Amino acid sequence: MSDQTDAFDYETCLRDCAAQKQSALRALYQEEANRLMGVIFNIVRDRATAEDLIHDLFLRVWQKSHTFDPSRGTGRGWIYSIARHLALDSIRFSQRREPRDQSPDELPDTSDSHWCERVNTSHWGMHNDRVHDCIMALEPERRTCIYHAYVHGYTQGEISDLLGAPLGSVKSWIKRSLSALKECLA
Amino acid sequence: MTDQTDQAPLFELAGEYVLGSLPEDQRRAVIQRLETDEELASWVTYWENRLVPLCDAVTPMPVPDAVWTRISDSIAPDHASPAAQDTSTHSRDGWWYNLALWRGLTAAGFALALLMGIGLMLLQPQPTYMVVLASPDGHAPGWVVKASNHQTITLTALGQFEVPPGKALEFWTKADDWSGPVSLGLVQPGEQLLINLNELPPLEANQLFEITLEDASGSPIGRPTGPVEYIGRAVAL
Repeated sequence: MSDQTDAFDYETCLRDCAAQKQSALRALYQEEANRLMGVIFNIVRDRATAEDLIHDLFLRVWQKSHTFDPSRGTGRGWIYSIARHLALDSIRFSQRREPRDQSPDELPDTSDSHWCERVNTSHWGMHNDRVHDCIMALEPERRTCIYHAYVHGYTQGEISDLLGAPLGSVKSWIKRSLSALKECLA
Repeated sequence: MTDQTDQAPLFELAGEYVLGSLPEDQRRAVIQRLETDEELASWVTYWENRLVPLCDAVTPMPVPDAVWTRISDSIAPDHASPAAQDTSTHSRDGWWYNLALWRGLTAAGFALALLMGIGLMLLQPQPTYMVVLASPDGHAPGWVVKASNHQTITLTALGQFEVPPGKALEFWTKADDWSGPVSLGLVQPGEQLLINLNELPPLEANQLFEITLEDASGSPIGRPTGPVEYIGRAVAL
């Protein structure tokens, strides 16, 4: 609980952004821009698009910070959720249908669960490792589906191509994963 | 509306939306449904809060300094209002920077526009449609669309919107049975726009209107590509 992300007060930062204090947005950018860039780039797979979306994201935080409601979640989670939805909307609704820059072959191997070891729930204001444990409790192929959807923004169809598994199986793995997670997190 | 997204349990649909695994049409359907379906919205929040630690799995990437310069240009007060530049003696806590004041004025403007809309409607015997376009989170009314007949509508801004450099706002509409939204052109914040719908089918109740953020010359593909800034549906009065 003592690493630097815990020291940054996201809720105060968003209040200051709502009061139009530019220094607060600047501080947020210094704290989070690189990590947000990683999250967005992994979904859009195009550097220029990801940079445009970082611009749009910080502008949105600046304009919408007054709508942030601390009773519904943490400030940091709110910012990352906006980032992911901007990136997902961009790949789903833009017509750039050509394959994204990086082919699946170059993607990190997710058959092991190293990626999941990096998940540290205390960064996100959570006081237990429930999310990590519940993800680890999923069967490996289901965990891989969750990873490819959440981190790369792949559709069910793309995951099915990637894993060479029938679309119906992927759909039901995702549905069952969500049910299992909901039960495990309850 | 009998597609399968309606039948899936809400927690599942919300989970797939947050995961990002939904294909284009289903994702669009969820976004539209979120405008009114509070239960779905609370499931979306549920999953957003619980899955967000997965972002830790991603390796950070450097962002060039030029990106901050662009952001900083976009949020500079003189970018939003060139008029304020001339009077640089304004202190930062002057009335111009008083957010509460502007919000109050926006709300008052919203109420006034609504009253005027209703007043207009009462004066005219023809069926009248009205749309209030609000931000997708529903917190800020941004524009009012008024139609005193089926073929002409006016779009009026209720407040200020800062358009980032190189971007523009594009106005769209779609009735329930159309295959996709139709562009009604680019709009300037603060400017009233009179739009002739001669080439479109007559306006109908529940018709969707939205304003998205697009590149300066508008969407290159004739369909919305950018984020929805304001959205609302026609109400017959």
